[in-house]
Amino acid sequence: MSKTKSTPKKDDRMFLEALRKKFKENPEDKYTKFYIYGGWKQSKRKTEFVEWSKKMSKERGIPFYNPDMHLGGITVGQRVLMPYRISGTDIYVEGDDLHFINNAAMQQMWHDMRRTIISGLDAAHTVLQKRLGKEVTPETLNHYIEVLNHALPGAAVIQEHMVETHPGLVADSYVKVFTGDDELADEIDDRFLIDINKEFPKDQAEQLKAAVGKRLYQVCRMPTLVAMTCDGGTMSRWAAMQISMSMINAYKLMAGEAAVGEFAFAAKHAEMIEMGTLMPWRRARGPNEPGGIPLGFVADMCQASRVKPDDPCWCALEAISMGAVLYDQFWFGSYMSGGVGFTQYATCTYTDDILDDYCYYGMDYVKKKFGGMAKKKPDWDLIKDVATEVTLYGLEQYEKYPALMETHFGGSQRAAVVAAGAGVAVSIATGHSTAGINGWYLSQLLHKEELGRLGFYGYDQQDQCGSANSFSWRSDEGLPFNLRGVNYPNYALNVGHQSAHVGIIQAAHSARADAWTTNPLIKIAFADKDLRFDFAHPRLCFGKGALREFMPAGERSLVIPSR
Amino acid sequence: MANFKAQYYPGSTAISKNRRRYIDPNYKLEKLRTISDEDLVSVMGHRVPGEAYKSTHPPLDELGEPACPIREMVEPTPGAKAGDRIRYIQFTDSVYFAPVTPYMRAWMGHTRYRSADIGVLSGRVPLEMRERDLEKVAKELVETEVFDPARVGIRGATVHGHALRLDENGMMFDALRRFRFDKKSGEVVYDKDQVGVPLDKPVSVGKPIPEDELRKRTSEFRVDGVPFRDDKELIGFIQRIHMLRTMAGFDPNGVKGI
Repeated sequence: MSKTKSTPKKDDRMFLEALRKKFKENPEDKYTKFYIYGGWKQSKRKTEFVEWSKKMSKERGIPFYNPDMHLGGITVGQRVLMPYRISGTDIYVEGDDLHFINNAAMQQMWHDMRRTIISGLDAAHTVLQKRLGKEVTPETLNHYIEVLNHALPGAAVIQEHMVETHPGLVADSYVKVFTGDDELADEIDDRFLIDINKEFPKDQAEQLKAAVGKRLYQVCRMPTLVAMTCDGGTMSRWAAMQISMSMINAYKLMAGEAAVGEFAFAAKHAEMIEMGTLMPWRRARGPNEPGGIPLGFVADMCQASRVKPDDPCWCALEAISMGAVLYDQFWFGSYMSGGVGFTQYATCTYTDDILDDYCYYGMDYVKKKFGGMAKKKPDWDLIKDVATEVTLYGLEQYEKYPALMETHFGGSQRAAVVAAGAGVAVSIATGHSTAGINGWYLSQLLHKEELGRLGFYGYDQQDQCGSANSFSWRSDEGLPFNLRGVNYPNYALNVGHQSAHVGIIQAAHSARADAWTTNPLIKIAFADKDLRFDFAHPRLCFGKGALREFMPAGERSLVIPSR
Repeated sequence: MANFKAQYYPGSTAISKNRRRYIDPNYKLEKLRTISDEDLVSVMGHRVPGEAYKSTHPPLDELGEPACPIREMVEPTPGAKAGDRIRYIQFTDSVYFAPVTPYMRAWMGHTRYRSADIGVLSGRVPLEMRERDLEKVAKELVETEVFDPARVGIRGATVHGHALRLDENGMMFDALRRFRFDKKSGEVVYDKDQVGVPLDKPVSVGKPIPEDELRKRTSEFRVDGVPFRDDKELIGFIQRIHMLRTMAGFDPNGVKGI
């Protein structure tokens, strides 16, 4: 902790521009006016909602959206209904534009995660060669992948009288492969290859190729329409069925002989990697649903570390935005609770450059104090120093800028953002995500005592247990924290944490210049320019979704009446 | 344990001292205003003033309780004896030098009042008790120094305001406009009850505490008041708690010298 009051340079804080635009007042003013803004009518988006509601109410004959029903006519908007800047961009949006129902990019991010299955090919190739005596060559391999690109979107390959899917509806479905073996990669048709050498900076590519070795993996993307209409558990089944059928076709096998079962077993189980695992009964969901996706997997899905490898803060912030949408908005906000309240809460981590300011403040502090990133092994004095300093800095900003305090008008928002800044800074200092999460928990305790308040009941419970559980399970052997997720018992009850935890993981590994955080296969699988969602620039993509400039997959216009 | 003397709260600054005072049940909260029972009951909105208390069970005397050592040890509160309903009062405390913060309000309640169930959120603190017990406690909470008419709100729902800027009269935002500053009298007046139901007649809760006086009484750290950074004792205490919890989670045998 620094000995003097923290006042970094002049007023170069990153959030000030957004605050000025949000309120059109001096962010340091403590006084303002209320009740004069016209309620919901001050919002273009809500005005649009009212117009549509009137139209649709007539059409359906049932009363519909009517903000004048809010608290007996006291509508939202008794104060300024502030717009939000998408952090790291120049895009300003209304809060409504960040609800996933209103944002096609957010939907697509989730669909792209859910519809992905990684499946190894080595077991299948062993069966083909050793048990069936078939030759596997670059030619047969490319032929097989082409067959699967026909079959995976929903086409027949064996039987001669079958229904099939309209290619115009499922054009986002395909299969690609990757390997760590440059010679093998050279033999694969470029159209099917995720080329590690091309997609990643050189040092990251070397790390990834060494991790993958000579193994060959296929990345299957099921159609977005399947992701929209079925569940995550569908994906491995859909992929395995079409993989097995394509093997039969490509290698001229008997349909149904025992060996074919080996392909199915390999595709469905032995060589199959899901994005998320099955959840227990009390939160029952199938595989490839948000609750089963580990924090570190989300960090690896985010591709910012390919684009800005030297900026751990940027990488962490981009990853955090994905975690916020996936965990806070989809999982907690909808799967676990329903309604609309969680969006208001979740967006604090990726709007108005506030968390950005705290993270960069922390990174600067670390660089000055320790001479660079990931230079120090985790120790108690470091965690105490860095987490305390960043926490105090963050809290002081709220006290100095009343407009900032008003922007994060819920304590849970402030607690999430301040602790995220502290955790990211400790991660950057140590290159150790478990040290980072411990810094987060120290931040929560300090925050609670400074303001005499924190979040809501559940928020406080989780964060007052955290000191004790951050190093409690084999933390000296690896990074089990990276494998936690919203299914971790203490994390199952509250929004606003796991988004930041994704960033704490990402920051640690980016500070170390690691190519991935938890699973190299997932990192490579999402280095795919043909995905609809831009995993390298998620915040920009969410902004495009908010501006209605993002074109998703899964549109049904080909099979519905035109309007 | 016989020699244990409760310290209530660590810290060396005036804010920490205020926190200690409020939590310490031996400290008598200073009375600053008088609110009639009738007015307070109106603002709380659970019953019409003068109306009998509703009950959820017969009086304990008539109920015939089973033999139980705990029941023998614990004297029921008057509300429990009578079978009153559990009702609530909920406060919103502004970040701008309100006398108490949500956690202080809860800890104060736990040390001072029997049978109170208190929750803590960032923007509101519900306190639930048997109705007649609640009214007694609520009177102390509204009439003494832990209440400021402008920076503390009595709000059952739609509570947002604690973190918002103040209006031109120094009042905390209230979307439902339950209270207002009456320029003529200089007092804060409630026109609606806790959940926004209009009152038959306005209820005054007195004049706002002057700003300089509020800053003396507050238990809130702020950079424009007493900065948290200045309270090294408190910060060190929190860091130590965190370290001990962390160590205990990693290796309980490694925790020494507590």
